Amino acid sequence: MTDNPEGGRPSDDRRQANPEDQVAPNTPIRRGDDDLRVRAAIRNELAIDAPTATQEIRAVAKREAAHKVIALEHVYLAFDEPVLNDVSFDALEGETIAVAGESGTGKSTILKLLLRLLVPDKGQVYIDGEEITKLNFADALKVRQKMGMVFQGAALFDSMTVFENVAYPLREHTKLNDDEIEARVREKLDFVDLDPDKILEQLPSDLSGGMRKRVGIARGMANNPKIMLYDEPTSGLDPLTTATITHLIIKLQKELGVTSVVVTHDIRSAFRMSTKIAVLNEKKICFFGTPEEMAASDDRYLRDFLGGY
Amino acid sequence: MLERFNEAAKRQVHSLQEFFVLSGKAIGFAFSRPFYRGDLIQQMDEIGVKSLPIVLLTGFFTGMVLALQSSVQLKTFGATMYIGRLVAASMIRELGPVLAGLMVAGRVGSGIAAQLGSMRVTEQIDALNTLGTDPIRKLVTPRVLAALIMVPTLTVINDFAGILGGSVICAAYVGIPTSLYWRTVFEQIAAGGFIFKYLPNDFIHGLLKPFVFGGIISLVGCNFGLKTTGGTEGVGIATTRTVVTASILILVVDYFITQVLLAFLPS
Repeated sequence: MTDNPEGGRPSDDRRQANPEDQVAPNTPIRRGDDDLRVRAAIRNELAIDAPTATQEIRAVAKREAAHKVIALEHVYLAFDEPVLNDVSFDALEGETIAVAGESGTGKSTILKLLLRLLVPDKGQVYIDGEEITKLNFADALKVRQKMGMVFQGAALFDSMTVFENVAYPLREHTKLNDDEIEARVREKLDFVDLDPDKILEQLPSDLSGGMRKRVGIARGMANNPKIMLYDEPTSGLDPLTTATITHLIIKLQKELGVTSVVVTHDIRSAFRMSTKIAVLNEKKICFFGTPEEMAASDDRYLRDFLGGY
Repeated sequence: MLERFNEAAKRQVHSLQEFFVLSGKAIGFAFSRPFYRGDLIQQMDEIGVKSLPIVLLTGFFTGMVLALQSSVQLKTFGATMYIGRLVAASMIRELGPVLAGLMVAGRVGSGIAAQLGSMRVTEQIDALNTLGTDPIRKLVTPRVLAALIMVPTLTVINDFAGILGGSVICAAYVGIPTSLYWRTVFEQIAAGGFIFKYLPNDFIHGLLKPFVFGGIISLVGCNFGLKTTGGTEGVGIATTRTVVTASILILVVDYFITQVLLAFLPS
């Protein structure tokens, strides 16, 4: 009762003090129709327990198992102290690998290695069959064009509009003319369930966290990359937006067949979307296998890690 | 003790090396494709056009106070007719470049560091890298070129505003006719000597300095901005460091340029 020294009923007092706080029936809701529509779709899907995309993708991945799109081989990396010790895993075409682990175990570092923003002290990194650790800066820029990256905070350029953000990789690396670029930007925004007409000219600061993330995905896939990388795509989002983003990642695999690496500690969405899960612990990959194998494992750490799930 | 000193010295040398590598790349990228012309024009607007009001104000008031102070001193010798020469000499050779440099360091250097710093901490620099763009080419080169062009331009405007301020004071308080004032201004420029027959030495002093200052301000700002670590607090640190470092460098480098120019361009 510290906030109410006079001893009256607190809720009543507050209501009288701030009559504006009551939402009038006609007050527009801050969330756009668009958001609501997507949320409803996700809710329905979760409710009817629709099959996740992963089964189909697993089937595809098995059929075309020959081609390794991503491979890390015995990678060592240390800054002031070791971050990764002898880390290896690979992703076949169309697969989605979830890299899970506690905070600060070097999960995001793996993405930086794949993008060659960092070079390992020892070991090899292969992207689409090409060894990238020895490439010079200009060639590394070229390899990066095969990959679309979705950053944790979306990392949209805040001096540019949504349109310019999504168009950026197209302007940089393609010879598309303005009409083609606009068509492509609209197509990608449609794909991530955003209404292009409403948000094309908005600035990133005008968007909600979930929308920003979706624009980030649209920008990552604008160039039609073979590989998508996601850094904590669902962290800091509410459960429904998390479902929206998970759904989007699955849609990307299903409809475009991209190979993905998702760094996450959200085990629930990792189970939904991944074909294989790599668990990082003590600077090493302590488990690499399918979600079913992980669920069936007797390993003490994995059991602890899965905890409440 | 010695080891710690050794470590610190190594770090200093390393960061100095990084600064020069950044500078080399930034200038090198000006001569190769792709070249971000849109960004250059935007930065010229940001650095040049938007600094115009503060530069005009500082120039005008500096000129006025110069004229006022020298009128008091020169009156004791009965030499108030030399006010024009004094104002012109000090504005064009020293105060114009240095004041414009310091003002731009405060306004633009801090802005560059803050902008690049927040881009760094929000992963936008990484995003540029992943989207296949060299951040130095896209962010640093346009800013450096814009500063190299705009700081000398601002200095010329600053000089002119200062001399104009002096002329207003001379006409209003000292009683020197404007025509006489401006004649002494041109006399001073001519008395400084010429290089290549028509180019006054004063102009070489007055234009070489801001050109160098422009490079210092933009490169220091970009360097600290790109190296920002530690979230929003880091952005603040980068901004402060930029303004302090750039201002000190401007004053120190100004001295050495003057020394060298006086040796090579005798009046």
